[in-house]
Amino acid sequence: MHLAACAPSDQPIVIGLAGPFSQQTGQSMQLAAQLAVAELNQRGGVSGRPIQLVVRDDSGSVSVAVRVARSFYDSPDVAAVIGHMGSAATLAAARVYNSGDTPIVSISPSASSPDLSQAGPYTFRVCPDDRVHGSQLADWAYRGLQARRVAVLYENDAYGRGLRTAFRSSFTELGGRIVSEDPFSPALPGFEPYLTRIRIRGGADAILIAGALDGGQRMLNTLNSLQFNPTVLGGDGIGGIETANVGAEGVFVSLAYLHEQPGARNEAFRSAYGQMYGEQLPDHRGAGAYDIVYLLGQAIEQVGTDRTRIRDYLAGLGTETEGFEGVTGSIGFDSNGDVVDRNVVIGVVRNRRLVSAERR
Amino acid sequence: MTPLVALNTLRTRIVLGEAALVAGLVVVAAIGIGALRTVRSTAASELESLTAVSAQSNTLVTTLFEQMRAAEQYLADGSMEAHNAFRAGGEAAHASQRRLQALPDLSESDRVVISQIETLQAEAEVLFSHAHAQLDLGRRSDALAGAQLAREQASEMLRLLSLLSASQGARAEATARSLEQAATDRELLVWTTLVASVLIAAAIAVATLRSVERPMARLAAAAQRFGSGDLRPVALGAMPAELAQLGDAMYRLGGSLRTLVGEVVDESERMATAAEDLSAISEQLAATAGDVSTAMEEVSSGAQRQVSGLEESSSAAQTLHDAADDAGRASRKVAELGADIHRLAETYASDIAAASKALVELRNLVQHTAQQVEELDRLSEPINEFIDLIKQISSQTNLLALNAAIEAARAGEQGVGFSVVAEEVRQLADTSAQAAERVSGTIKTIRDQVAAMGETMALGRAQARGVGSVSQGAAEALRNIVRSVEEIETESQRVAGQAERNLTEIERIKLALRSASAAAQAHASSSEEVAAAAEQQGASTQEMAAQATTLHRAADHLRSLVRGFRS
Repeated sequence: MHLAACAPSDQPIVIGLAGPFSQQTGQSMQLAAQLAVAELNQRGGVSGRPIQLVVRDDSGSVSVAVRVARSFYDSPDVAAVIGHMGSAATLAAARVYNSGDTPIVSISPSASSPDLSQAGPYTFRVCPDDRVHGSQLADWAYRGLQARRVAVLYENDAYGRGLRTAFRSSFTELGGRIVSEDPFSPALPGFEPYLTRIRIRGGADAILIAGALDGGQRMLNTLNSLQFNPTVLGGDGIGGIETANVGAEGVFVSLAYLHEQPGARNEAFRSAYGQMYGEQLPDHRGAGAYDIVYLLGQAIEQVGTDRTRIRDYLAGLGTETEGFEGVTGSIGFDSNGDVVDRNVVIGVVRNRRLVSAERR
Repeated sequence: MTPLVALNTLRTRIVLGEAALVAGLVVVAAIGIGALRTVRSTAASELESLTAVSAQSNTLVTTLFEQMRAAEQYLADGSMEAHNAFRAGGEAAHASQRRLQALPDLSESDRVVISQIETLQAEAEVLFSHAHAQLDLGRRSDALAGAQLAREQASEMLRLLSLLSASQGARAEATARSLEQAATDRELLVWTTLVASVLIAAAIAVATLRSVERPMARLAAAAQRFGSGDLRPVALGAMPAELAQLGDAMYRLGGSLRTLVGEVVDESERMATAAEDLSAISEQLAATAGDVSTAMEEVSSGAQRQVSGLEESSSAAQTLHDAADDAGRASRKVAELGADIHRLAETYASDIAAASKALVELRNLVQHTAQQVEELDRLSEPINEFIDLIKQISSQTNLLALNAAIEAARAGEQGVGFSVVAEEVRQLADTSAQAAERVSGTIKTIRDQVAAMGETMALGRAQARGVGSVSQGAAEALRNIVRSVEEIETESQRVAGQAERNLTEIERIKLALRSASAAAQAHASSSEEVAAAAEQQGASTQEMAAQATTLHRAADHLRSLVRGFRS
């Protein structure tokens, strides 16, 4: 249905996109978002107006994220923001988006910190939070892998600590034991002391790496060099590790989206993504960003570009209006702006690809 | 349609001025209260916010220090206690940072600083954990080297913490400044409003004063005009209602004064006319007195001639008859003139009383004049008696003349002349009686006029400065006239006495018919005495004429005084 006649002009609809796009983890998010915008504009835009993405790289840093958020907030043209990617940046930016007289919607494809639930009425996400990841990983470790002693290496940030806490809670409840919890960060000189200590203190049935891809890669490298081969699990933070040449074979990853998950929408998305970007596969961040573009397009078509009306429309999604059918599944929001009824899937790296672990 | 509130009264204007002042004060009070409330609530919320931030910052600092202390302790003793404290401190610090970030009133730069602290703390935590792992593996030197790196992060973190404190201090200062500025602004507003309302009230007060002063000045000018004798109507112009009433009263007063002065002018004119009349009559009286004197001299000479020509008694009797005739006439004339004088004096007194009462409005003066009038009335009583006496004399003279005629007839040839004289004397007596009757009528008229004058006096009322003395002077003149009249009466009585004595003498003539010579001689001396009395009467008459002149002058003065009133 074309509503071009109703459009006030051919002025583009401006949507912000913020994430660590110069980093490997952020690439899929940007590519998928641009793919979705290109598709929409090719079909005549929204209400007859083209969509214009304003892309800002926040480097995953809290302070840069705040600056980017301020620039979006202060541009009246910007109707909504897709982002940010990580929990820390998303939380910091959410304080800007929810402030003042002209708050603006931000929808994160992948920020999974439980703290984000309380960030404010204009903050949404289309991915399940770390509690879901943590409990699913614990369940998989205890039931799927029969692990009883698990060592945890966590990134010392909101995401890593959140996932660690969620995992610990579920795993100890199931009857397992956490043998150690060691923090890391990019500044960590090396994983060797942690891993050696785990080893000499009786080893572990599995090691959970609760952190970002970079830390995961370093840890796998160290394990490799130490000839230490415990089962490794990770959250969606290490998504992408399958393509890294670090011997990630057999690593289990909890994911909000797996490219091979069924559904016609996903098929179309994968094929378009492949056509546009070659052999690369979209990750959960890309799928989420793709869904967010279409979701915002639908919202703006219904209520226009007014920031508050967009928020109200999104808040009613799945309750007042029918849920949005996306690549990642049906999207509806609860009162905290969290996506409802969304489970994670456990994937495993096989031949440099993530495949469903359950269908092994 | 009349306005609800009359704006032209002094009361309304004063009430409006007061209301403006009170309204201004109420506004000032409202602004003051509003300012206080604003400042108080702002101060309270700012204080609350600052307190919350400060409390969370303090907690953060405490937990960070505790964690760092535990980290160092573990490096020293490797105790489980220190390890747990390090972990717990980390958890507490992260929770504290989350709470701090959740505070709504934090500035973005503060949030960035807190994020940096968080990052540094996380780094320090990681580095200490790494060092602890080295220690656990027995690599003490590696552990201490790693701890050194951690300490660098920690000291940078402490620097940022002090930055955060400084920022909070600056914020507290800025808050204090803005509160002070707000208070100053409100204070300025309060002062402005206060001054404005005072100015408005002052303007209304000045306008009210002017609306009082200007009409008052006009009223005073009008009063001064009245005082200086200018009684023409005054245009007072517009003025507040209360003063307008006063103005109306003054306008009516002016009208009353004009009417009164008009009456006084009439009265003074009449008085002047009366004075002129009096003067003329006085002159006439003086002339008449001369006539009496001349007549008595003639009587005297006639008597002497009778003495000398007793034998020719016919002619002598004739002469005596003429002289007696003249004396009778003169007496009648005196009576008439006395009556005229009384009437004029009375008129004069009436005028004076009316004038003084009208001009001075002094009850005692009026009463005094009334007493004068009563006295005049009383004084006219003796005149009546005098007239009765003249009537009696006339009657007796008539009888005497009859007897004389009989005696002349009995004297025969020698008494023929005397009988003619006796007839003339009898006619004279008749004429005297008639004159007395007329005088009596005149006195009655005078008394009527006195009564009318009493009424006139009751009517006359006025205020005129200086008139009192004039009217007193006039009253004095009146008293003098009355005294003169009394003297005239005395003299008239003396004339009457002499006339009686003439009767006696004529009685004795009856005897002297036998000794005519002696009788005629005595008669001659009596006639001389009558002449002397007549002269005395003439002198009194002159004095009265002088008094009439005084009265005339007083009347003129009075007339000039009332002429000073311009009506």
